[in-house]
Formats: sequence, C-alpha cells, structure tokens
Amino acid sequence: MTAAGDTARPPRGSRDEVVLAVRDLGKYFPIREGALQKVVGHIKAVDGVSFDIAPGQTVGLVGESGCGKTTLGRCVAGLSEPTNGGVYFGLETATKERLDSLLSVTERTASQESELEQLDNRHRVDRMNGDAWRRYRRNCQVVFQESFASLNPRQLVKDIVGRPLRVHREASGSQLTERVVELLAQVGLGRQHLYRFPHQFSGGQRQRISIARALALDPELVILDEPTSALDVSVQAQILNLLHELQQERHLAYLFITHDLSVVRHMADRIVVMYVGRVAEAGPTEVIFDRPQHPYTEALLASSPDVDAHTVDLQALEGAIPDPALPPQGCRFHTRCAVATPTCGWEVDDVVRWLEDVEGTFDTLRGVTRMSPFDAWLSFEDEAAAASLAATLRSEAIPQAMRTALEELTVDARRVRVRFTPVDEVQLTVRGSEHVAACVLDRA
Amino acid sequence: MRRVGELIGALLKNPTTVAGLTFIILLLGMAILAPLLTEPNTPDAYQMPRDWGAIAVPPGSPGHILGTTNVGGDVLYGVIWGARTSLRLSVIVVSLTVVVGVTVGSIAGFRGGRIDEILMRIVDVFLSIPELIFALAIAAVLGPSFRNIILALAVVFWVKYARIMRAQIIHVKENEYVDAARVIGDSPWRIYLKDVLPNSITPVVVQATLDMGNIVLVGATLSFIGLSEAGIAEWGVLVSEGQAGISAGRWWASTFPGLMVFLWALGFNLFGDGLRDILDPRTESSR
Repeated sequence: MTAAGDTARPPRGSRDEVVLAVRDLGKYFPIREGALQKVVGHIKAVDGVSFDIAPGQTVGLVGESGCGKTTLGRCVAGLSEPTNGGVYFGLETATKERLDSLLSVTERTASQESELEQLDNRHRVDRMNGDAWRRYRRNCQVVFQESFASLNPRQLVKDIVGRPLRVHREASGSQLTERVVELLAQVGLGRQHLYRFPHQFSGGQRQRISIARALALDPELVILDEPTSALDVSVQAQILNLLHELQQERHLAYLFITHDLSVVRHMADRIVVMYVGRVAEAGPTEVIFDRPQHPYTEALLASSPDVDAHTVDLQALEGAIPDPALPPQGCRFHTRCAVATPTCGWEVDDVVRWLEDVEGTFDTLRGVTRMSPFDAWLSFEDEAAAASLAATLRSEAIPQAMRTALEELTVDARRVRVRFTPVDEVQLTVRGSEHVAACVLDRA
Repeated sequence: MRRVGELIGALLKNPTTVAGLTFIILLLGMAILAPLLTEPNTPDAYQMPRDWGAIAVPPGSPGHILGTTNVGGDVLYGVIWGARTSLRLSVIVVSLTVVVGVTVGSIAGFRGGRIDEILMRIVDVFLSIPELIFALAIAAVLGPSFRNIILALAVVFWVKYARIMRAQIIHVKENEYVDAARVIGDSPWRIYLKDVLPNSITPVVVQATLDMGNIVLVGATLSFIGLSEAGIAEWGVLVSEGQAGISAGRWWASTFPGLMVFLWALGFNLFGDGLRDILDPRTESSR
C-alpha cells in the first residue's frame, strides 16, 4: 500500500512491480516412525498460504509460535524448499496477473503449461538458477531473531558485514572497509567497531550488525524474523525506529514476522494473520485493528498488552494451538473459539480432545473407529463409561454449538457412535477492500 | 586465532596445565636438541650406538651417565633420541589421523543422508575393536618395523576424529549464522570453511593434544612387544631390552625410558585436559 507523499522516495524497482508473490505455499514435514522410518503422516507447517508484497511495503506476518510463520519465512528466504505452491520474486504486475490466471486454470493446455514453466524458471524461487537466482539472493535478505546465533562468533564485524559484498564481488580491500563503515554508520555504529567480535556487543548492537549485513547488497526485500523479540523493550523501540528510517531512505519492502501484533501496528501496511499453517485473516493494518473479522485476530488483539480501548470485551486466548499434524476440520480455530457456531467444523477429534481434559474417562477409552473425521465409533472399557460419555455429550458440559452439530449419538453396549454434520474447510472470503478472512461468521 | 592472549593467560592459571606444559616443553626441547646433547650415531642417528666394552654398566659410569643395557646401548642416548622418535611418531600419526578423520567426519556431517550413513557404519566397525588389540593385529600382519607401527596407529586412531567432527558439524550447521551465509549467497564450500569448520574444530584440537600422548604410549607398547626394528632408539624397545636385567638388579635400562613414556603421556594428558576446560563451548560464550 503506497502511501501519499511516496514520491519523495528514491525510485527503487519499478512501481508496477510486486517484490514478492506467495502462491498457495505449503511446507510439509514427514513424520517417521519405527525402525524403518516409514512416513506415517505429515506436519503441515504451512498449508496453502498466498499473499503479495509490493515495493516499499511492510507486510506483518502474525501468529502464535507454532503457526508456521517462521517456516513460511524460511521458504520465502529460499532456505527451505516448499512442498507445494511457490514463492515468486520480481514479478511485474502484468506478469503476476498472467501467473494468477494460469494458476487458477485447473486443466492447463500444453501451451499454458509451458508458459507457466517459463514463468516458474524465471521467478519461482525454488526453480531459479544462474542470473535469476543471483538477482534474488542480492535482493532478498534476512534479519534473524537471535542476534548472537546469527553472527559467526569467530568473525570480525568487518568480515561479517563485508561478506555479502565480497561474495557478490562488489568490493575488496580498502574499498570494502569503506563500504562497511558506511553501512555501520547507517545502523548507528562506527569505524571503531570494525575489528570487534560479536560477543563484544550488546544484543541491540548485534541486531544492528545483522541489519547492516542485510542491507549490504541494497536489497528490495528484507525478511525480519522476530527481530526485536529477544531484546529489552527500550532497545526494541530503537531497533523498530531504525528499521522504519531505513525503509524510508531505501524504499525497502519488509516481511515482518512476529507473534506480537502491537509490534507491527506502526510498521506494517498490511497484516497477514496465520493460524495452524493457514491464513486466518489478511488486510490493511488499520482495518485489522479496527474491524477484525476473525475471532482469532480479535483474541490476538486482546492478548496484546498495548492494544487499547475498543477491544476490552474481547476474550483472550485459551488452550493450546492444535497439533498441525492433525489440523481441526472446518475452521481450524473452532476448538478455541469463543463464538463458534454449529457449522464451524465440529468433529470426532473434538470429543476425543474434550475427553482428554476429563479426569478418568480418557483412560477407559479403548479405541476410535473412524468412518470419517465426523463420524466414528468410540469403544470403552465398560458400559458405564460409554453411557456416561453419552450423557455428558447431551449435557451443558460441552459447548452449545458442538451439541447442536452432533447429528447422531447412539449407545451400543460399550460403544458410542458420534456423528457430526460434515463441513468443508472454511475458505477465505472477501470482507472489504483487500481484506479477507476465513470465518463462517459475517459481522461486517 | 581470537583472544590468543586470553587463552594463554587462562592456561597459565591452572597449575596442572602448567605442569603438563612444562613436561611437554622439556621433552620437546630434548627431542629438538638431541643432535647437540649427544653425538649422533653414524650412519643412522636413530640406531642405538653399541659400546661392547661397557655392557650393563650402572648409572654414573664414565661416559655412560645413565648406564648401559646388556647389549651395550647407552641409556642416555636412548632416552634423548627416543624423545625424537616419539615426536616423529606422534606428529606423523596425529597429522594423518586428524586430516583423514576431519575429512571423513566433515563429509558425513555436512552432507548427511546416505553418505553419512555409510561412512558412520564404517567408523562403527573400526570402533568396535579395542585400540591396542587392533593396532597390534595390524602391525603384526605388516611385519615388525617402525614405519608399520606408524601405519597401524594411523589406521586405528582416525575414527575418533571422524566421530567428533561429525557430531560437531551436525550441531554447528544448525546455527543461524550458517543460514545467514546461505542467504547472502555464499557457496557451501566457503560456508564450510568460514562458518562450520572454525566453529567445530576445538574438540578436535583437544583430542589431538591428548592423542599426542596416547599414541606414544601405544607405540611404545607395540615396540615393547617387538613390533619395531630391534636396536632403534625408542623407549619401548629400550624398556624391552632392559627388562631381562631387572631380576638381576639392573633396573636402570628399563626405568629411565619407562619414566620418559610416563612423563610424555602425562604431560600431554594434563595439558589436553586444561585445554578442554578452557575451550569448552559452554564456558566459551560467557567470556
């Protein structure tokens, strides 16, 4: 989102370009078991995420730990290879539109296939090589969370910050030293720091060194992976201000990954909220803060300390993030949602999850025979346990929405059949200008 | 490399390390200055000179300060040139084993996957046989000579370095500075040389120091058993030459070279332990 007054910025990249387009990105990690290491399932750390970053724009990627935001960042940085979909770099707007139309076709003709292939080879990060890859490597840099771990403890600041210049043969000798001094000056450090080791600096200073290194090649995009969460609050503000100034000067695009919404409030133009590998909501920052459409976004806002006033009656998050190897059906947030409805995707696993929390009963559960995620027989040790489960499932002890979604509840001696209304995965729907959310409720 | 001054300062603070270092300096001095301390035997200085006119004379005899063996070998000459032999043995074996071990361990750890699996199974086979027995078997098969002892020790000792190096690299390559180097676009080879190797090598240095002592100990054992050429100025050979006289009260021919083996192994072990304490990665980052 280019703001007004934008023209003062130096022209970087062409204006009708997207720096980065993420399309249907998926990253699955196999779960292996047994002596033969057979693959028994997949952890879908990232599962079908799409968004764009325009030149000079900051996109805040927000979510709890374990939601897949760091994995997504690593895919965007080219550090890990996506399982599905792709990360596209340096597309012109027209090319991007062409790409989207090609991707939306389910059965492509041979000529469409080859056109897509060509686009992939030129712009898709995991397919690039040669010049395209070098161009991407120069233009996409990362600032990591742990400043200590991200700086080689045995290299001098001069070598750390000068390394990108050396790798890309931009400078050497005394010229390199001067370039490093310039970079250090931009991040508030000086010539006197050239010949020191990382351990001789404070956390904030180390993060400045990381930023100087990331800027050395004058990139178009910098991925900031929780760059301030390891720092003291006062230092946090300094680093955020520095990042903001550098963005103004250099027309940088940022992908700002964080678990704390308040950090990106003043930095981000757009916010993408992730939950268990998927996008829950995405939109312009003001809209996300003023009119959040997804209960998860609201809950995040409520649990963020300095988000104010109008969010008072929101309920903060409870419970743990679900296992990404077994993501909940329907809406992935329904297990923790305060305003869940009967159509949010209640399933057999919700009964099991609920049983886990009930003292004693879970131990009597002997097996679950699933016909589908929504329909299963639960067998118990004795008839009493089966009857008591059935009784509780009919009672007030479980959420009203879950009870309503329960279509069948049959007790057959020691077995109980539970069947819920099958629900499809909740898709993102348009809620306003550039605003999407994946929620069955429409509260606009 | 970094903070060399600090490192030396810390080493000198520990009395046992200083003791180890003192032994090492004395023994190395003796090895290096051997041609000045005694007249080198001709044609081969590593062969014991034989004085057939003074067989099994006790220490303090004129011309034979530490006495002679029952075949007329001067014990002092054997002690001094034995240090040179030991230095030669340990330096050659440690260099060979470190190069081979670090290479194998690096390939296994850095590449991972199938190559790692294959290399580590080979290492397991080597590790399953006790060091001394294995070296003894190899040296015995190759035939008695000092060169074969070097070969046998090299074959046995490289596996430890491969293990250590692999474990270190698997740990170090997970560091974010390796990711940071990849993001810059540096090549895997340079990432290995600049980021991975320098941060993984410390335990190898410690192990190499300890092995400088261990190898001489095992080497002397093999020589004692008779797997070295007879008549060579080597501590194990000398102990073996002197052992027949011990029951007759001629203690000196075995005691002095035996003491040298002891001091050599002790010196490097004390120094290696001190080095390990100081270079321990857990205490390193706090300084």
